Amino acid sequence: MAEIKVRNLHKEFGVGEDKVVALEDVNLEIGGHVFVSIVGASGCGKSTLLNILSGIETPTNGQVTITQDDKPANAGYVFQAARLLPWRTVMDNLLFVQKDRSEATRARCQRYLEMVQLGDKGKKYPGELSGGMQQRVGIARAFSTEPDVLFMDEPFSHLDAITARSLRAELQSMWQETKKTVVFVTHDVGEAVELSNRILVFAKGGRMADDIDMPLPFPRDVSDPDVAVAKANVFKTFENIGALAVS
Amino acid sequence: MATAVAPPPTTDPPRQSEDDRVRAARRKERIQVVVWRLAGYAFFLGLWEFASGRLMSERLLPGPSDVFATFGELWASGKVPGAFADTLTRIGIGFAIAFVVGTAIGILMQNRWLNGFFRDAVTVGVTTPGLIWALITAIIFGNRPWGPLIAIVLTTFALISVNVAEGIKALPKDLIDMAKSFGVGVVRRNREIVIPHLAPYIFTGVRFGFSIAWKVTVLTEVFSSSSGIGFEMRTASQLFRLPEFLTWILAFYVFALFLEKVVLEVIERRFFAWRGTINS
Amino acid sequence: MSDTDTLTRRRPPANPVERFAKSPLAGRIAFPLVCLLVWLVALEVVQSIWPFAVDVLPKPTQVLSFMWGEIKGETLAPYNMYETFGISLKRLGIGMAIAMVIGTVIGLGMGLSKSVNAFFNDWVVAILAMPNLAWALFCSLAFGFGDIGPIVTVVLTGVPFVIINVREGVRNAPLDLYDMGRAFGVSRGHIIRHVLIPSLMPFMFAAGRYAFALGWKGLVVAEVFGGEDGAGWTIKFWYDAHRAHGVIGYAMFFVIFALLFEKFMFDRLSRYFFRWRPEVNAADVVEERFDAPPPAVVTAGAVSHANTAAMESLNQVTAGPKSEREHGDDPRRHHDG
Repeated sequence: MAEIKVRNLHKEFGVGEDKVVALEDVNLEIGGHVFVSIVGASGCGKSTLLNILSGIETPTNGQVTITQDDKPANAGYVFQAARLLPWRTVMDNLLFVQKDRSEATRARCQRYLEMVQLGDKGKKYPGELSGGMQQRVGIARAFSTEPDVLFMDEPFSHLDAITARSLRAELQSMWQETKKTVVFVTHDVGEAVELSNRILVFAKGGRMADDIDMPLPFPRDVSDPDVAVAKANVFKTFENIGALAVS
Repeated sequence: MATAVAPPPTTDPPRQSEDDRVRAARRKERIQVVVWRLAGYAFFLGLWEFASGRLMSERLLPGPSDVFATFGELWASGKVPGAFADTLTRIGIGFAIAFVVGTAIGILMQNRWLNGFFRDAVTVGVTTPGLIWALITAIIFGNRPWGPLIAIVLTTFALISVNVAEGIKALPKDLIDMAKSFGVGVVRRNREIVIPHLAPYIFTGVRFGFSIAWKVTVLTEVFSSSSGIGFEMRTASQLFRLPEFLTWILAFYVFALFLEKVVLEVIERRFFAWRGTINS
Repeated sequence: MSDTDTLTRRRPPANPVERFAKSPLAGRIAFPLVCLLVWLVALEVVQSIWPFAVDVLPKPTQVLSFMWGEIKGETLAPYNMYETFGISLKRLGIGMAIAMVIGTVIGLGMGLSKSVNAFFNDWVVAILAMPNLAWALFCSLAFGFGDIGPIVTVVLTGVPFVIINVREGVRNAPLDLYDMGRAFGVSRGHIIRHVLIPSLMPFMFAAGRYAFALGWKGLVVAEVFGGEDGAGWTIKFWYDAHRAHGVIGYAMFFVIFALLFEKFMFDRLSRYFFRWRPEVNAADVVEERFDAPPPAVVTAGAVSHANTAAMESLNQVTAGPKSEREHGDDPRRHHDG
């Protein structure tokens, strides 16, 4: 399980009049077997934060360290769009991100495909799969490298509600089974409440507005009143920081 | 792999100099582009001039200076405007007919039966080299004026049909239905929706078509005319007067390039500015 | 073989004969019949107005017997049809190979570097707009008879198209896939092998297709003016001999040849290279635009409809050749016809 430390993180885009502050003075620590959700409306910087944590972008100022037992940590990623190589089979897509192509690695990849119920689809091309299946391949790919920390950027936002629901359940059980650190970005408060034990609320302008604990037991049922109350509380936070104001 | 990221914590640099730095960088890039562009001209023109004297005999490959001088002579002798006028007239008439025919076929192809009917005609039209039509019409019609015109029409119509048909197929039914539901009449619907939608397709067809038409016209003139650019080219090459030959083709080619790029593209930019970077 | 009627609802015609007569296939068959009719009528009309023009306007039977003779291998020309097309194809192949190599190198350079692009761009545009007639005449004067003139013409006609397509390929690199690879720490070599090169394939394929189609047209013109054999020279042979049936017959062979190659060779290759594509497989071919989408595509579309955004990378690469239409120097409008 990994340790993520963020200190005085600041990120800007553009210059002069076009300058946009994406993240403003963010400080946080995440560690252990935890599922952390980052929620906020569009433009609050949550995707930027994830890009910086995953190394795709560099901060303007500040420090980010992600370690596992004091060494740089391995990370896995699930993107909003599956980002599969369309010209390679599903299995080849998983192998693409592995460190080697040995028999053991192949077997491991096959195991993760089975975990997302795509064990028999190894030889198919992404174009032959539905959007939901492609996303599952993306999830299997991220888990198959057995990383210390998993970053997920709104992975279910492009899927229909029914598929998303079943994928959330799958993700839940995989997280329980593999005991990773997961950082999960979403705009859907309900999703965050259902999946995570800690919620970071971001406001427009890249400010971290709140850090909410979610100690309710897993698995959580949408019809459970405690869950509804928790959800309402998160929304109240939004109201307080004016994030719900229509701009 | 996530790595430890740690840029040295500094204070914000004063905003002024950062803006300046960005602007300076952009300016430098623009100058670089211009310099390389000029270098390209110098390189290729120089290569041509070099090849003319050294690599191939001057008689076979006149250099840019020779060609330029010859153009001066030809212009002075008065031959140039006449030949240009002849060729342009042919292009104009031929292209106009091709446009009408091509548009008509494009519209007719919306009907399924007629689609099947014209389908092979369009395929043949697109794949057949203009040379073939030029030869066939030359052999059948000899020197009569409608031979070249038919060849131009046959070579050009297909691409126009394709563009028109594509434009009509892509008509935004949802916008038209929306207008109908608000009770907007046919004339206004056509003016506000159909025509602006079709315009880029038709314009693309015109650009494509014109480009093809002028080349085919010159080609037909080589075989079956007694006037025009193509004819002058044939005469010059038969008499082995390379500088003249090159002069004719380059002069017309520069002119056609001018028409294509400057005139048509300017019109396109002004009328279709709203398209942004969406393709036609 | 009849098209699926997906959009309009009509009362189905009463009997099979009527249904066939109204189908697009019937229209397709009707076309050559109508052409034949027009041809025969024109012959009659011309004969009555200009009796002396009879020699020049051939009868359909003359053309057909000429073509049949050629197919059997008997000909009055120095070489028969198979030798002729063989020679031309050989030249086309060599010219295409050279054009692909030169074009890819320059195209890559232009796509990757703004300076290189500035250096070459105006000249690529210039060569693109040059009619192949000019190259053909020049090459025939410069290189005389033989193989070199036609081959050089093919190269000159094809190179600008290859350059533009490869440049487009570089510009359309799927950045999200690169980011994904980098995020997972995939090695540079692997990224080049598994991301860069496959993403360029549709563009290289389009380049090859253009090089073939346009190279063929340029080759023919070059052979007309400066050859002593080959398809272009042979058609000129019949033209000089004032045998209209020879010219028309050979012209029909040209069309058939070009169509065969387009449909079979490129279609096959396209199906193999792009078997991972979810849509209709072949790269851009004109006539396919008029086909109703086959049922497989319609159902595939329905499945992915709700999840279109998840197919971002797919679409970006699938779009391939279409993206060249966005740029100012659209290659297709410069083809000579």
